[in-house]
Amino acid sequence: MKERRHILNILVKTKSALDKKDYIKIKNLSDQVIHHASIHQDGDVISVAVLIYALSKIIERENYKAEKNWAEFYSGFRKNIMDMIVALKNKNEKKFRNEVENNRKLIGGLSGKLKIYIGDVFNRAKINKASRIYEHGISIEKTAKMLGISLWELSEYSGQTGIGNVSLSVTMNLNDRIKIAEEIFKK
Amino acid sequence: MKKYLIFDAGPLINFSMNGILDLLEKLKEEFNGEFIITKEVKKEVIDRPKTIPRFKLGALRLEELYNRGVFKLADLNENEVNELRKIRENLMNSANSMFKTKKRNVHLIDNGEAAALALSQIMKRKINSRENIPLVVDERTTRMLCENPEKLKKLMEKKLHTNIQADSSIYKLFKGFKIIRSTELAYIAHKRNLLNLKDSKLFGATIYGLKFKGCSISEKEAATYGRL
Repeated sequence: MKERRHILNILVKTKSALDKKDYIKIKNLSDQVIHHASIHQDGDVISVAVLIYALSKIIERENYKAEKNWAEFYSGFRKNIMDMIVALKNKNEKKFRNEVENNRKLIGGLSGKLKIYIGDVFNRAKINKASRIYEHGISIEKTAKMLGISLWELSEYSGQTGIGNVSLSVTMNLNDRIKIAEEIFKK
Repeated sequence: MKKYLIFDAGPLINFSMNGILDLLEKLKEEFNGEFIITKEVKKEVIDRPKTIPRFKLGALRLEELYNRGVFKLADLNENEVNELRKIRENLMNSANSMFKTKKRNVHLIDNGEAAALALSQIMKRKINSRENIPLVVDERTTRMLCENPEKLKKLMEKKLHTNIQADSSIYKLFKGFKIIRSTELAYIAHKRNLLNLKDSKLFGATIYGLKFKGCSISEKEAATYGRL
């Protein structure tokens, strides 16, 4: 695994922030992972970015905690992160990937409202992280493929962010682009 | 000489999500040529979203236009398809090795985007045009890659907080592509009275509708359009 040390470092910090219930710190950690994910485009790094961002959203919302199975789910999630840390410390990539898969199974195994809530959080986390990678300069199609989401959801989400407003994004004077369009449609 | 306009996936998705697909048909009549797509784009705008309940309606609407020939797959023979694949691979590999961080290349684009650019070159040859065939592209990276790769490099350095080494000898491969966005199509529709609604604010609203569904246009540009 190319990014073992970086992922390990982030997960250790995530666990510490989790102990303090500091969801803002966890969100920031997920942003740090995104810089790396944009460059390395490594599936493991992307999975961790999504997982950490989803975690920050999950602990931020109090209403989930009243749901049946919450305690079991949350302790499973924490254990999952700790097991990922141990696997990475031991340089056991297979075990680390098993833990990423176990995290998916944990969510898949939920029932009732919690399954809907958490599933939704993870889906939104994927779209949010995809939008961030697109913002970093990677193309929309490349990004959508990396995160396994459709171009439709990424276009819709990224349109509502300020990605197009960055001054560096403007590569041609608007009048010049209009001239090209008029030329194309000239009768 | 026959005219062609190549569509990337983004503008078709955008028109569909904004409920203004009727404009595409009217624009095609105005264009007096063919709106064409690659296989990769068809997959992204029709085949795949047809399996996702949330986007199925939009995809079916696009499929109806596709079935009526409003936009169609580029008509390429076997040799041209093989040539397109070669150019696509070359463009994609070149774009994906253009920028390097300390340790590795930054992969910028994927098959679909590279195929649209390759199709532009193939169609240029096919119809003996002096220029590449124009493209409609809403996403930012491909447009920047073609129009100002140096700005794309600066943007990535700023966002990634790292230095990027560019192989500027690759820049020339992406020169000469003419790109417009869905907003420029809306502008043409507005100028030719195709929008069909009386409210004077409709054009500005259309521009913002397109911006908020993924067209990479700045607030300043959108506001300028609103005043035209």
